[in-house]
Amino acid sequence: MKAPTRKKQYLQGLRAGVPVIFGFVPVGIAYAIMARRAGFSVLETVYMSLSVFAGASQMMAVGLYVQGAGILAMILATFIINLRHVIMGTCIMEKMPPTRPWMRWLLGFGVTDEAFAIFTTEKREKRTPWYFLGLTAVTYASWVAGSAVGAVVSDLLPDILTASLGIALYAMFIGLLVPGLTRNGRLALLVVFTAVVNTFLSRVMDSNWALIVSTLASAALGVFFVDLGEETEEEGTQ
Amino acid sequence: MRIEIVLLILGMTAVTYLPRALPGVLVGKLKFGPRVKKFLRLIPYTAMAALIFPGVLNVDPANTWIVLIGAAVAALLGVLRLPVMASVLGAIGVNFLLYMLI
Repeated sequence: MKAPTRKKQYLQGLRAGVPVIFGFVPVGIAYAIMARRAGFSVLETVYMSLSVFAGASQMMAVGLYVQGAGILAMILATFIINLRHVIMGTCIMEKMPPTRPWMRWLLGFGVTDEAFAIFTTEKREKRTPWYFLGLTAVTYASWVAGSAVGAVVSDLLPDILTASLGIALYAMFIGLLVPGLTRNGRLALLVVFTAVVNTFLSRVMDSNWALIVSTLASAALGVFFVDLGEETEEEGTQ
Repeated sequence: MRIEIVLLILGMTAVTYLPRALPGVLVGKLKFGPRVKKFLRLIPYTAMAALIFPGVLNVDPANTWIVLIGAAVAALLGVLRLPVMASVLGAIGVNFLLYMLI
């Protein structure tokens, strides 16, 4: 079978990223409104999204800024929030055919929770660097566009719509996760176990560390009692 | 732009980008055994479970039940093996209706 061209792979990635738009645009708007209220200029608000591209970190940073936190404290908090991407980046790269160093440096920019979730549940033959670039293009564009809109106009969306869109990214994670579980009871059990552990740990420790600990510990446990079968089992949902 | 904000953004960019890019640079140089490979294959499942819970319970603390119904709709559409987009739009749609009703 002939491998799809780079352009085709890129377009597949673009298409796979479309569900993220529904999550990133409203969250970007919410971030920008927070940033503007915290005293960031329009330019500063948008520049942060262009450069950092990390929703949770940016919201946390503008929140800390309002409280008068120092720059180093905000950078440290960002680092802690994004440590989980070491794990996610490793999974993404491991599931991709070997590629050139410059490409790997480029792909790193697009490693978000959402890109990780979409890419690692994708069918094996689609998991290419160019697919990931397409995915990054959509997620990055939605994030920057949402931030730009929110920075200029606040109260653009009616409250009911904003509230309804709050579920978007969770629905996407659920939609990506569930199909892989229906034929594997032990894997489903592991997922429920992880959810319970993380819910508990989030109450007793910082939620960013809780996410890392419960993800790694549960996966380590799963190595011994979950049967994943051959790679084909991992066929994605899209 | 204020210089302190530029410094903040540059610092945040560095500590966001490096953890994301480092695995790509290292993974090619490492060889994983079957155990580690299985561990890495399990991580998407456990990471997504941890990304969903408890976060989904805090989307709208005043109306957690609405969000949970939306999540249930997303899960049901996932069980039916519909595209991810169906889960996203289904959950948003149901939540929109429920918010209209209350």
